Amino acid sequence: MEGDADQAARLGGEITAADLSADSILSTLSAAMEEVGARYETGEYFIPEMLRSAAAVEAALQVLDPFLFERRADQAGVVVIGTVRGDVHNIGKNIIVSALRAGGYKVYDLGVNVSAAKFAAKVGEVDADLLLLSAFTTSTKQSLLDVISALEAAGLRDRVKVVSGGAAHSPELAREVGVDAFAGDVKSTLAVCRELMGGS
Amino acid sequence: MNSRERFLAVLAGETPDMVPVVPVLDGYFAPKLIGRRNDDCWADGNCLAEALAAAQRQFDHDGVVAEMGLGPDPDVLGCRVEIEGNQVPLVVETLVEDAGDLAKIPIPDPWRDGKMEPVRRLAEQVGREAAILGSVRSPFEYAATVRGLAGFFADFYRDPEFAHQLIAACLPATLAVGKALVRAGADAIVIKDSFASTSMISPAHYREFAYPAEAEAIAALKETAPVILHICRNSLPILPEMARTGAAALEIDSPVDLEQARQAVDGKVVLKGNIDAVAVMEKGSPADVERAVKVAMAAAKAGGRFILSTGDSIPAGAPLENVAALVEFGRAYGKY
Ligand code: B12
Repeated sequence: MEGDADQAARLGGEITAADLSADSILSTLSAAMEEVGARYETGEYFIPEMLRSAAAVEAALQVLDPFLFERRADQAGVVVIGTVRGDVHNIGKNIIVSALRAGGYKVYDLGVNVSAAKFAAKVGEVDADLLLLSAFTTSTKQSLLDVISALEAAGLRDRVKVVSGGAAHSPELAREVGVDAFAGDVKSTLAVCRELMGGS
Repeated sequence: MNSRERFLAVLAGETPDMVPVVPVLDGYFAPKLIGRRNDDCWADGNCLAEALAAAQRQFDHDGVVAEMGLGPDPDVLGCRVEIEGNQVPLVVETLVEDAGDLAKIPIPDPWRDGKMEPVRRLAEQVGREAAILGSVRSPFEYAATVRGLAGFFADFYRDPEFAHQLIAACLPATLAVGKALVRAGADAIVIKDSFASTSMISPAHYREFAYPAEAEAIAALKETAPVILHICRNSLPILPEMARTGAAALEIDSPVDLEQARQAVDGKVVLKGNIDAVAVMEKGSPADVERAVKVAMAAAKAGGRFILSTGDSIPAGAPLENVAALVEFGRAYGKY
């Protein structure tokens, strides 16, 4: 977990050569991301260290991608993620994106300041299992409500589970706006997504 | 003593008649006072100048924060920004990928760019009575802006030498804008270095990358006006260095205990802070504001080296009563 992207890519190459199972590779990367999240929570890592580790994981995944998809029948799930309208914070979201990719999910990242209509359209287009909404300022509550309404209007609300998270976000707020679950860090996000996908 | 004199007295190391009240009331909060949207005012310096003047007339705080150019500041360095719906200008295209791009970083001419005229007009309108604080980004923050935050942070490990070169290449921008603000009528310069906070980077990275550029910029700018260094969120581990930058005052955010901050800087520099902009100003009531003001005064008023402020920008959603309460209780509990 040195966090060096080139090294991770090399490592990725070796892993594929060694013919390890896709699942064991992913669980190693995923555990690494959880560890990174934990080190951030305890103040050992700061944002550059976290971003660096995430970049390393992404680099490894890029090398592994073709192999993983050959060997793995199912993805863990299809995720659409983005930061809601009126909000430009993206660091936490990007970490979550890397963690989800390492967790075997197919992730569509829509970026920041994403409109409700755009979220709904993408969910429909890619038939997403999960929609993850990042919101960092409490003033974006209306944006969360708008996404839920847009999903309902498009007849998609029953087909996708919605998870929200991000600084200044609380389980109470999540309940109020009517999302299915809330998660506060890397570890709990992965756990919540697994649970919603029907895993354990 | 009028507002401006009170504020300048504190920066000069004198004890004023009462603690000056200078909240970070800027482009997030002010536009609604003239019925405009933040997006409009970020794009239009005259809109923001009008809003800031209206805020000062309404709340009678001792200093007005004239944000750089009163417009979408990253665009002074040629980054393309989008404003609509963002509340803040969102940089959509960065300028620098590698050392070959360093020459692309311009030295802005804020007068020619039309960004200083609104500041001058603001100073003309309120600057006799209240102080004008001109705010500019640090070289470190400009570097993060032109490079993109993630790429910039990656450079700390991948190519620290390049990170240093990039920061150095942004120093002229900070100096040009800072000097232009003073020429336009600013009484003090606020250098914003939000990404240097230990909520973002380690104290070691602060010392390696952010501190030297702060010290250099402040040494050059304090010839023209006193400098206030703003680092929001946690700064406790780096306060001794911040005090050594040569800044006349440090802006302290709510995660830092003011009493501890005073000890950390050994009373050598003025502290400006640290009412919680979100929990108290946005979500709280006037009674919460009163409680917070009392706590801040108890921690930092004695000895005169204190400016009552919010720790960071007052959010758009803060009720007007809370801002009025900040000034009211600041006066009530701030007399020497
Ligand atoms: C960096 C930062 C900024 C940068 C953003 C840069 C960027 N590219 O992202 C800038 C300077 C632009 C910025 C601007 C503003 N910010 Co800001 N910012 C922060 C800061 C300091 C760090 C955020 C961060 O990246 N943390 C690191 C990451 C890794 O942690 P995280 O975001 O919490 O993410 C973790 C979890 O939340 C979770 N997670 C994240 N996303 C998701 C998504 C899902 C679906 C799930 C399940 C989980 C999850 O997993 C992540 C990993 O553990 C925080 C304070 C803080 N310490 O949190 C304030 C903070 C988020 N900002 C805040 C505010 C108010 C603002 C501004 C309005 C300005 C202001 N007045 O201060 C503007 C708003 C701009 C806008 N319209 O969005 C407030 C929000 C408070 C509130 N209750 O509303 C905070 C909390 C600071 C405070 N004052 O209290 N900010």
